[in-house]
Amino acid sequence: MLKKPFMALSAVALLSGLAACSNDSGENESADSGGTQTLSFWAPFSGPDGPQMEEIVNSFNDSQEDVQVDMQIVPQSEYYTTVDLSLSGQQESPDVLIMHGDQIPTYAAQNILKNVDTIVGDTISQDDYHPTAWDGVEVDGNLYGVPLDIHPLMFYYNKDMFEAAGLDPEAPPTNREEFVDMAKQLTNEEAGEWGYAVPTLWPQQFIFPTIVYQNGGELVTDEGSTANFASPEAVEALEFLSSLIYEEGVSPENVQQDGELTLFLQGKSAMHMNGPWMLSQFEDSDLNFGVAPVPQLGTETEAVFANSHNFVIPETVQDEGKLEAISTFLNYVADNGQAWAESGQAPVSKAVYESDEFNEMKQQPQVAKQFDYAQFSPNVENWGPLSDPLYSAINEVLLGSMEAQEALEQAQQDAQSRLE
Amino acid sequence: MKSKKMSAFTSFLFVLPYLIMFTLFLVVPLIYGVYISFHDWNLLSPIHPFVGGENYARIFTSGTSENRIFLNGLTNTLQFVVYSVPLLVIIGLALAMLVNSLPMKIRGFFRTAYFIPYAVSVSIIAVLWLWMLDTNSGLVNQALEGLGLSAIPWLTKLPYAWISLVIATVWWTIGFNMIIFINALNEVSEEMYEAANIDGASSWQKFIHITLPSIRPIMIFVIITSTIASFNVYGQPYLMTRGGPGESTEVLLMGIVQQAFELRQMGAASAMAMLMSLIMISISVGQFLLTRGKKRKGEEHA
Repeated sequence: MLKKPFMALSAVALLSGLAACSNDSGENESADSGGTQTLSFWAPFSGPDGPQMEEIVNSFNDSQEDVQVDMQIVPQSEYYTTVDLSLSGQQESPDVLIMHGDQIPTYAAQNILKNVDTIVGDTISQDDYHPTAWDGVEVDGNLYGVPLDIHPLMFYYNKDMFEAAGLDPEAPPTNREEFVDMAKQLTNEEAGEWGYAVPTLWPQQFIFPTIVYQNGGELVTDEGSTANFASPEAVEALEFLSSLIYEEGVSPENVQQDGELTLFLQGKSAMHMNGPWMLSQFEDSDLNFGVAPVPQLGTETEAVFANSHNFVIPETVQDEGKLEAISTFLNYVADNGQAWAESGQAPVSKAVYESDEFNEMKQQPQVAKQFDYAQFSPNVENWGPLSDPLYSAINEVLLGSMEAQEALEQAQQDAQSRLE
Repeated sequence: MKSKKMSAFTSFLFVLPYLIMFTLFLVVPLIYGVYISFHDWNLLSPIHPFVGGENYARIFTSGTSENRIFLNGLTNTLQFVVYSVPLLVIIGLALAMLVNSLPMKIRGFFRTAYFIPYAVSVSIIAVLWLWMLDTNSGLVNQALEGLGLSAIPWLTKLPYAWISLVIATVWWTIGFNMIIFINALNEVSEEMYEAANIDGASSWQKFIHITLPSIRPIMIFVIITSTIASFNVYGQPYLMTRGGPGESTEVLLMGIVQQAFELRQMGAASAMAMLMSLIMISISVGQFLLTRGKKRKGEEHA
């Protein structure tokens, strides 16, 4: 017990300690161009999506002799720490790995990701993928990865509740007016039933930017140097969310961590917005739910906030044979990525999302419908921690303890001090 | 002479495994942590330039994000310590006395029942309470509403968020303190109570004049370990309130973990961790001196 004061400290120190040890990176493994190329591939798919990716890798390995991919799944919670150590040359690194779009600017700034401009257009065709997907891997005009999927915010709704309220269960709302209107009809405060329970924490990280983008706003301006959290578009977005609770009365107050999800699963909140990864959980419940693109809750334009999975290559991979082998693998994934769609995600390769098989699925085509206008997190380093003050402010406003304008201005100041 | 040497050697062998572990996982990382805290240590860069005390200076310069994170985290952590430690000690002792006064047959059952939560991981404890305390669909509020009372925003408003975190923590860890107190209570000699009975002392008088002084060393131990454990609070607020409402339950360890693993700033994170340990060590030493001083006084009076 007495050891405890040092625990926090040792954990931090120990991890950095590991960073400094083992300095042998895999650079020296020169690959013979004659024999079989072995590629090591890292992915954070420790959930139900892992077996899907494994299926693709296995069928690739069985399909030919020249390239063998050795996939390693690193649990999501420690993925980026492991990636940090390997990409900075402090530990053995993979030949190709999965990276979320919002992480790419941070790594690209350190010059440790391969600029794939020479590969794309040569061995990989840019036209084989949805154009939006390339936005997610672009930093300052250079491409740093090959996209796998885009996962935008999705709209889920309870069909039984729609029917009970006299609404058409096949016609979910498409704009703000319909959304508020339906939410009011779906609300029955006496029975504890709500139109749309507004989350005060996660997944606001997807919902709030969606509405800001739909209002035509931006969260960071001046090429990543100015936090723009208190713009009129952002204030309007937050005031709208807040009005759902305090004016329209279609959401309960004091929704806690995951509270809106609990209500949706209990059939007490008719509408729900979350990422496409929720699909399996909703399918396992006995909810009669529908899924659709997010309605246009902002006032200006179609838009939806999204993140993405991409393949990136460490800068240290120089061997031509290896790079060619990587292209072969990625092209195979693009052509045979249907298995990835089974995980609920929507691959961005046209061969998959334009196929009949894909378009017969329940959720995945709804995800792909949003590709055209999906927008990613601002192109800045460390967007996650940088946006923390923003989400604390949103939390305060949605809990009714602060005004939108004031809270967002304060968050903007905090974030600006982190940017500098 | 020879056998004395031998026995010293044998003793040394017995301590050796612990010593190796202690050195490897505590002393080395600790020294390494101090070393890191004097460098600009970005996890993404293989080069870590020496920056002297800059990481510390930034924590003490108002206006920097490090300063904000550290001060806010420290204030919140201290609040948690102040709210939780007295309850952990008092309820732990009360439970120990309650269980001890039970008939022998059912004593073992209750001892185990109260101790079990301590063996469960914090993530399970947190999810359990998260569901029970849910403002809009939780068990507790449904019960309150059933009694005609109004629902309480357990995790989204102050002071309820702190109350909930303290309740969850007490329920989780109270078994440990209880077991320690039970052992201490069993050590108190029966003769003293018998003598007191003959003198016609009341239960309260027996508690104040016999029980408390007899278990004082254990009491000090429990106070210090509870304080240290409460200082290290992380899982409960991280999982139950996410630091909310706003940042009002964002504890120090959450900030340190963010610096280290989200911002990849190991230097700044280590500096914060060093300061945190220094504060904890001073508080523990302070508590020890204070309580030891009292004991001396007590002895003089006796």
